[in-house]
Amino acid sequence: MSRFRHLGPVLALYRTGDRRMFLAGLVMALTTALAGAALLGLSGWFITASSIAGATVATALAFDVFMPSAGIRLLALGRTASRYGERLTTHDATLEVLAALRERLFRGLALPGAARTLAMRPSRSLFRLTLDIDALDTLYLRVIVPAFAAVGTALAVSVALGFIHPLLGIGTGSLLLAAGLGIPLLASRRAEAFARRRAHALEALRSRAIDLAKGQTDLLMAGRAGAQVSAVTAADKRLAEADRALNRIETDAGFAFGVASAGLLAGILLVAAVLAERGTIGAPAAAFAVLLAMASLEPFAPLRRGAVELGRTLLAARRLAPRLGGETVEIAPQEPARAAVAIRLSDVSAAYDGRTRRALSEVSLVVRHGERVAVIGQSGAGKSTLLLLLAGELPAAGGVIETLPATLLTQRSELFADTLRGNLALAQPDASDADMFAALRAAGLDDFVRRLPHQLDSRLGEAGAGLSGGQARRLALARVLLRDAPVWLMDEPTEGLDGQTARDVMARIAAGSEGRSLVIATHIRREAELADRLILLSGGRIVADVARGSAEYEEMISRLRPD
Amino acid sequence: MTAIEPAHSGRTSAPGSFAPADEAGDSLRVSAASYRSSRLGVVLQTAAALMWIPQAALIGLAVGGIAAGEPARAALYPALAVFVLGLLRAALERSGVRIAFDSARDRLSQLRGEAIAAVAGRSPLDMSAASSGHIASALAEQAEAVLPYLARFQPLRAKAVVVPAVILACVFAFSWVPALILLLAAPLIPVFMALIGWRAKEASERQLAEMGDMNAFLLDRLRGLTTIRTFGAVDRTARQLRADADSLRVRTMAVLRIAFLSSAVLELFAALGVAMVAVYVGFHYLGQLDFGAWGGRLSLAEGLFILLLAPAFFEPLRDLSTVWHDRAAGQAGLAALEAASASGIPIVGRAEDVAPPGEGRRALSVKVEDLRFRYPVRDRPVLDGLDLDIRAGEHVAIMAPSGAGKSTLLALIAGLAPASAGSVRIGGEPLNAATAARLRASIAWVGQPPHIFPGTIAGNVSLGRPGIRTRDVARALKAARLDDLASARGASPIGEGGVGLSGGEALRLALARAAAGQGAGLILADEPTAHLDSETAAEVIEALLAVSAGRTLIVATHDPVLTSRMDRVIDLSARQRAEVAA
Repeated sequence: MSRFRHLGPVLALYRTGDRRMFLAGLVMALTTALAGAALLGLSGWFITASSIAGATVATALAFDVFMPSAGIRLLALGRTASRYGERLTTHDATLEVLAALRERLFRGLALPGAARTLAMRPSRSLFRLTLDIDALDTLYLRVIVPAFAAVGTALAVSVALGFIHPLLGIGTGSLLLAAGLGIPLLASRRAEAFARRRAHALEALRSRAIDLAKGQTDLLMAGRAGAQVSAVTAADKRLAEADRALNRIETDAGFAFGVASAGLLAGILLVAAVLAERGTIGAPAAAFAVLLAMASLEPFAPLRRGAVELGRTLLAARRLAPRLGGETVEIAPQEPARAAVAIRLSDVSAAYDGRTRRALSEVSLVVRHGERVAVIGQSGAGKSTLLLLLAGELPAAGGVIETLPATLLTQRSELFADTLRGNLALAQPDASDADMFAALRAAGLDDFVRRLPHQLDSRLGEAGAGLSGGQARRLALARVLLRDAPVWLMDEPTEGLDGQTARDVMARIAAGSEGRSLVIATHIRREAELADRLILLSGGRIVADVARGSAEYEEMISRLRPD
Repeated sequence: MTAIEPAHSGRTSAPGSFAPADEAGDSLRVSAASYRSSRLGVVLQTAAALMWIPQAALIGLAVGGIAAGEPARAALYPALAVFVLGLLRAALERSGVRIAFDSARDRLSQLRGEAIAAVAGRSPLDMSAASSGHIASALAEQAEAVLPYLARFQPLRAKAVVVPAVILACVFAFSWVPALILLLAAPLIPVFMALIGWRAKEASERQLAEMGDMNAFLLDRLRGLTTIRTFGAVDRTARQLRADADSLRVRTMAVLRIAFLSSAVLELFAALGVAMVAVYVGFHYLGQLDFGAWGGRLSLAEGLFILLLAPAFFEPLRDLSTVWHDRAAGQAGLAALEAASASGIPIVGRAEDVAPPGEGRRALSVKVEDLRFRYPVRDRPVLDGLDLDIRAGEHVAIMAPSGAGKSTLLALIAGLAPASAGSVRIGGEPLNAATAARLRASIAWVGQPPHIFPGTIAGNVSLGRPGIRTRDVARALKAARLDDLASARGASPIGEGGVGLSGGEALRLALARAAAGQGAGLILADEPTAHLDSETAAEVIEALLAVSAGRTLIVATHDPVLTSRMDRVIDLSARQRAEVAA
């Protein structure tokens, strides 16, 4: 069915995972369900048979109690054991697929196009991603396992009843499968649109709540806080409507199951009475049939929830499937042909998706080995765009870019929830502790790290939480130093630091960049002063290119923000 | 806590202007924990479960009839009754679940509504307020966990008390031995679960929360993708992600192996309970266990009835254990919602939308007398005994070292926080709870940094305010010198939180917002040139002056270029009582 086609890449994860675990989970779930049904059926048979046998002392003594009572105890213990095993294996299989899913997703999202979408709307994208992953998690546990166990039980019960009478088996089997699978399928089809609506409403609720909390002052002063409150409330109302609709579908499915099981029970009772009257079966077999049938619809019940949630799972699969097939592509820029040149741009243009104006127009630039260049200009002149182009983060819309391997120091120190060692090793996996401390020393952070109880093994929180702004900057700088790339690209490297720290960081950048080419995008004097050359951008074009020592250089430096 | 900490929540309007309101909105404040699931819903669901008792009796009678050699006809009425009772049971269950769900869902909307109103009416000076990320998470995903807890867990808990008790009584009426078996099994379940169960289960919940951290790990790395890519570390990070997830799996499974024992105990007792009942009844018929039936002998119908009730006795307990994890998540959600709606410093008046005074606006004077403000956790007031007199149409710079109360003063003038003492008059009118919303409508605000909403530039200027037409937006964009950017961007949306806009552009957008509000006679600007390069700052200053023509302007700044363009500079520290200035 076409609505299930996006599940392909997700199911493929189960195929590549531990297949034995996957199958063992299914088999044990089926065993559990079967043991439960058999326990009831056998108990019913035993009671009825012993009641008949107990009518006279002779038959009572002749009755073999050992086999059935041992069977009942065996089934009770077996059911417990298989249930325990089922839960362990299904969870293990799920966890394994989760691990694979997250790895695949990371690779897919690290591709340039996906990464830019993420950067534009990080909180919305990441929220959506989290919910999508959670929705996929439920596929195996909530849909595949119960469906397998239920269908398997239905077939086994039909076969068992078929031995009593073929029609009984066929009738029970068809009713079980028609109701047991038909009801969840119908419910999942009905629920799909509401599940989608629900997901969208929740996203809207969240992003509107963020706007209310973050933009509260602007909204209050514009007389729109009340309107924003209404907007959040409206999202909750839409969410409530979808919630209610899904609840109605689930309870309808439950009602249908109830009707089917009442019908099955009454039908089996009647059929058993008729067969007994004809002498085809005895009362114990009748009791066995009734109790077995009663238990056989039970395993279908969890499918109700799975069916209602399937719509959300399908939406998640549709969104994530394109990200699951991605192969990792590392950026490999073209290197300049001439030996003394580190960077050469020829007539390079750049544009962002969905914008008519070009961020850069026909920029040509040569940076020699060891040269330090500051790119200055007003906000929005194209400074950051130039760095992104050189770093290979943004494809050029036209022209040729040649550069030696470059390392970008982003404006925000991008640190990770990992140890200091892990954060540093990102730049250089083979670095020794001595290398790391050397880099930390050059960045002015070695004393701090040596004083930590766990030194390099100290853990940082999410996004590097636990370090001050200055420390985070120094750690990011140490990482760049460790990378040892011939070209450094720096986006406002001391923005947001206090004057003293900023000047120290700049001095360390100056020392560390000896023998490298350096491109700094900045509007702060202390950063630009490091440069041998100033390039002034305006409206995406180079409007001035002056060397240190000239009058224009001094004049342009003096116009920048002092601190 | 200090004396000025207002005791009321943001929802209740403060009576009297700056006096801390004592009467708390306690009547409105129903504790989230006090919610009890709809009684009718619980009753119906319980009744549905109890329908099984007559059904079981009828099945027992019918099979007993078959064994006694009665004609097939005799089974017709019991079968029919089983069917009808089944229908009734399904219908009761459906209604019960729906009613419980609706009442829980209404409760969730109510809790959300309270939190939303509290967020809207909270003062921006309230330092104790949760971050926007926490608020969003409390209102969205954490609040979602409340629904299954209220809608499912609570009714099931009630059911787990009533249904086993009634079944036990029914079984007891026929024979005390199976009743004893069930009675012993039932309390043993919680005992054993307590021994190895609940605690281990909670450990497993913590472990599952750590699984949630696996998401956090992924998100953490995705936030720094640029850096990971510049170091060529995508592949390494992906492999690390996988290795971490795998080791987490191993640790989780170690915990689950123990935690699942608790549900295994439940399963074991449920299965053994059924088995022992069946074995007792069977041996009773065979005359080997000739006791327990109150001196008589059980009939087949009675025996079957007891057997059929045995699994139903354990059913509610098993149901409850499957939704056990809803409880922890639901209670955490309730706590998060409660924290989001906790009262801190409220704004003056309500967060209601009042239409601005229209075209006939006039510049507004501002008179501040003996103004005092202290943050709840600080010992000393940040403003104390401040007097200001600003004429209508005057352009004034407020100078002070950072932390000396410039932003606080602007917030107090705008009624964004209640002063500890003193008064503010705007255009001659006193600012108080009754007038605040209306006065705010005639004040324009240029914050630093302004919040950029998702949407287009034009949408960010108008903010959906009624009465702002396309040409008002165009004029405002021109005044703020954003018309070039707006035409270049067109209808393409701005990134989240202004990604893709420079600091100067974001600020000019805030200016355009102020310019578009035609009714504003007073503009309050908070450090509009901070963090901007000199050329961009110069442009912002020109735009600010253009927008402020014919209006009163109060700007908090320490930029000498900006102050030189003002009519008057007020040094805040020189204007207050000596002990503050010292």
